[in-house]
Amino acid sequence: MSFEFSLIIDSIPKMLAGIGITLELLLLSMVIGTILAIFILLMRISNRWYLCWPAMSFIYIFRGTPILIQIFIIYYGFPQFEFIRESIFWPMLREPYGCAVLALTINNAAYVSEIFRGGVNGVDRGYLEAGAALGLSIRQRFIYITAPIAIRLSIPAYSNDVIGLMKATALASTITLLDMMGIARTIVAEYYAPYEIFISLAIIYLIMTWIIQNAFGLLEKRMSRHIRQ
Amino acid sequence: MDVLTGWWDDFFWGSIVILQVFLVALVMMVLFGLIGAAAKLSNSRIAQKLASAYTVIFRGTPELLVLLLIYYGSAIFLTNLFQLFDPSIKFVDIPPFWAGSFSIALIVGSYAAETFRGAFLGVDPGQIEAARALGISNFNTFIYVRIPEMWRLALPAFGNHMLSLIKDTALISIIGLNETMYAAEQAAGTTSKPFTMFIVAGCIYLGFSTVITLSVMLLEKRANKHLVGSR
Repeated sequence: MSFEFSLIIDSIPKMLAGIGITLELLLLSMVIGTILAIFILLMRISNRWYLCWPAMSFIYIFRGTPILIQIFIIYYGFPQFEFIRESIFWPMLREPYGCAVLALTINNAAYVSEIFRGGVNGVDRGYLEAGAALGLSIRQRFIYITAPIAIRLSIPAYSNDVIGLMKATALASTITLLDMMGIARTIVAEYYAPYEIFISLAIIYLIMTWIIQNAFGLLEKRMSRHIRQ
Repeated sequence: MDVLTGWWDDFFWGSIVILQVFLVALVMMVLFGLIGAAAKLSNSRIAQKLASAYTVIFRGTPELLVLLLIYYGSAIFLTNLFQLFDPSIKFVDIPPFWAGSFSIALIVGSYAAETFRGAFLGVDPGQIEAARALGISNFNTFIYVRIPEMWRLALPAFGNHMLSLIKDTALISIIGLNETMYAAEQAAGTTSKPFTMFIVAGCIYLGFSTVITLSVMLLEKRANKHLVGSR
């Protein structure tokens, strides 16, 4: 068994050509997923059964099934239906890229809304009572008191979720998308050198994880300035 | 529903395979988690470093990458090893079942190590001192005082680890294990009804995760039984 360094040096630039797709998948599904998560959260904590139930089933279904199945249902499953192939969404759902973004977004939204719910539940009741005593309406209390504290409380879990999402983008390679993982799999199939290629790819992912972790660490530090003495 | 005729047994046996992978991986996951936690808590600098390298590496790389690396990597290694003795051998690999269970256990074990460590440190020192004052041996203190307390603290996170484990089993179909996902792909290919087939696979997974969630809830209730009323 030999470990060919020349192969590593050759293949790293090739794999990095896919970093754009990996980052795009990550950013798109993170941003859209988070916005969606806020709506789901609001539905979930609304105390109205017709809003609460759909949100709960959404969370239950998408957190309870593997993301690989969700990707396959969207990419391979949806074209089974005539009405989807004729709908305006078809240009997006025809492409593996659109399907990957959709699956990752929905999945991420389910996870993030639960994280935010944890944050909202973590807000000290005393603050809300103080807000009520000052005559703030329910909406004002949510926007000016609950939300800022809940966001700060959610950051550690949110950063783990973003790392999880980055790891999940590798699954896009299963529907023929050439992100870093897809490129690596093609190279491995060609040269049959899994050690060299996969280990170098793992290092690239680890660096990305490190960056995400530190970025959120800084953000958290900044947002808890007022707590530190 | 007619399209599913003839595929039910594939899905059934696939679910059995999922269950087997889950149980095997669960045992390995607990083992890796305990070893990792023990290393993190030990006084040896080297053990601490190794354990934190373990958690950092497996938390930061995609599950699929770890799985493919272990499966193809071990295949190359074993093929080379066996060819030393018998050059006529073309290809040797670890069965996908074992390579897959090992990989997902290794990944989830890295999370479990952190959970177990937290639970160990979360036990009130007063409890341990009380046991010592009563003259209970170190070993018995660990078994009868520390473990039951740790168990209660670790349960919620442990439930999540079990859920990750069951969901990660779907990935093993990529290296060719005959589980539900694989059955769904076969069925989708033959019947040209991919949506139906993958939905069935999804429902099976949803069933598994529901069972896990409910059992963890019951266990939590049981573990916290003595606290009811004391609050």
